[in-house]
Amino acid sequence: MSATGFTGIVVIVLFVGLMGFFTFINKDKKTTNIRPIPAYDRIKQEINIAVEDGTQLHISLGRGGITGPESAAAFAGLSILKQVIEKSSVCDHPPVASTGNAVISILAQDTIQGCSKAISVSDHVRNPSGELIGITPFSYAAGTLSTIRDDNVSANIHTGWFGNEITWLTTAGERQSSPTIAGTAQLPAQAVIYASASDPLIGEELFAGGAYLGAGNIHEASISAQDVVRWIIIFIILASVLLNILGINTFFESILAGST
Amino acid sequence: MKINLKSPVSMAVAIGVGIIVLAGYFIPSFTNIRFILLRTGLVLSAVALLVGIINLITVHIKKLGADSENSGYSLILVIALLATLIVGIIDMVQTYMVGKPNFQMTSWIFTYIQLPIETSLLAVTTVSLIYAAASILRKRMDLFSIIFFFVILLVLLGSFSIPPATLPFLHMIRVWILRVPALGGARGLLLGIALGTITTGIRILIGTDRPYGE
Repeated sequence: MSATGFTGIVVIVLFVGLMGFFTFINKDKKTTNIRPIPAYDRIKQEINIAVEDGTQLHISLGRGGITGPESAAAFAGLSILKQVIEKSSVCDHPPVASTGNAVISILAQDTIQGCSKAISVSDHVRNPSGELIGITPFSYAAGTLSTIRDDNVSANIHTGWFGNEITWLTTAGERQSSPTIAGTAQLPAQAVIYASASDPLIGEELFAGGAYLGAGNIHEASISAQDVVRWIIIFIILASVLLNILGINTFFESILAGST
Repeated sequence: MKINLKSPVSMAVAIGVGIIVLAGYFIPSFTNIRFILLRTGLVLSAVALLVGIINLITVHIKKLGADSENSGYSLILVIALLATLIVGIIDMVQTYMVGKPNFQMTSWIFTYIQLPIETSLLAVTTVSLIYAAASILRKRMDLFSIIFFFVILLVLLGSFSIPPATLPFLHMIRVWILRVPALGGARGLLLGIALGTITTGIRILIGTDRPYGE
């Protein structure tokens, strides 16, 4: 086994252990102690507004699939979709979901049907959609515009894998004067989101949706585990700088090079 | 009593396949199984695309019946989709009859319709990005937005390569911004995304996040 493979296993085992540990110690806690993220507060606020006004939320899940590096962002988007549907179950008009990937479209429809059964929404008309809008970046963006421009849509939540074409979606939301909450894992698109969305989700904030929308203890434990590993990484970076200064840098170089 | 076997079985398959694929990255003896499973996944993705297209066409045919202001767009979509499909089938039949690849009509559609449209949309995206950058101070007048705006301005000014507009000092600042704070910030963001990706993956592997139904 290579040094990289061994490090990978250690990281996975460390994460599983930390997540299990934090889930166990937080299982009886009633309150959560996590830093506020304005975008998630806005989602909760917009769900309440949709319930009050009889409007609906639009959730676009991007065009990421499940076999590439974009899959985690797509799954994070699905997790947020699930929480929003559960929380907006009393809305007159349930949320509408759109995707730019066929597999995610099927998973979104499955999530929607699962949530609908769980919240006893049996009326088919009330069930939100999970349409495949388009499979290329621009066809997806262009197709989603008509949903954003729908007068009954009070807010747009774009969480998933997007490229620079997300500027179309955020700008269209701005023109409709509807709040836009957006997050993606692609770096150039994050800069676009920061400039154009009313409530951006930057970096790992996209993956924290479950914890902030009340998906369960394991999501909060994930955040605690990330914080612990973040500190470990900071320590390793500082230690490697020190070791490099002292001339003892073979170990870290061999890990980075993936040698045995 | 009705017993729902779908959920536990789908969960067991998803978790099992996920663990084997993950193990394939670290343990060399699992590499072949990983490739087989990933190839199977790709084939299933292609089938899912077919299902998605059927879903798309069904939705838009329904919209044609409804008295909607967007029904014209739906009509164009349905016609374009069917026309491309028919052209693709004709090309495929010709390929089998001739015995060598012959996708002239499909290539024509992509070269003279798809490509110019996508290029035009890319140009519109450029305008949209400039608008977004210019309007950031109107949306959020805080310290980070001001820094964001002026950094964009500096990088753009430092990118000029036309001789009268070339400013060596700004070019040096641009290079420094790209190599030091931008690169460092990007690495920090990527580390955060990697941590989030790992926890999302683990939650799916242990079955606490189930994006494949209840």
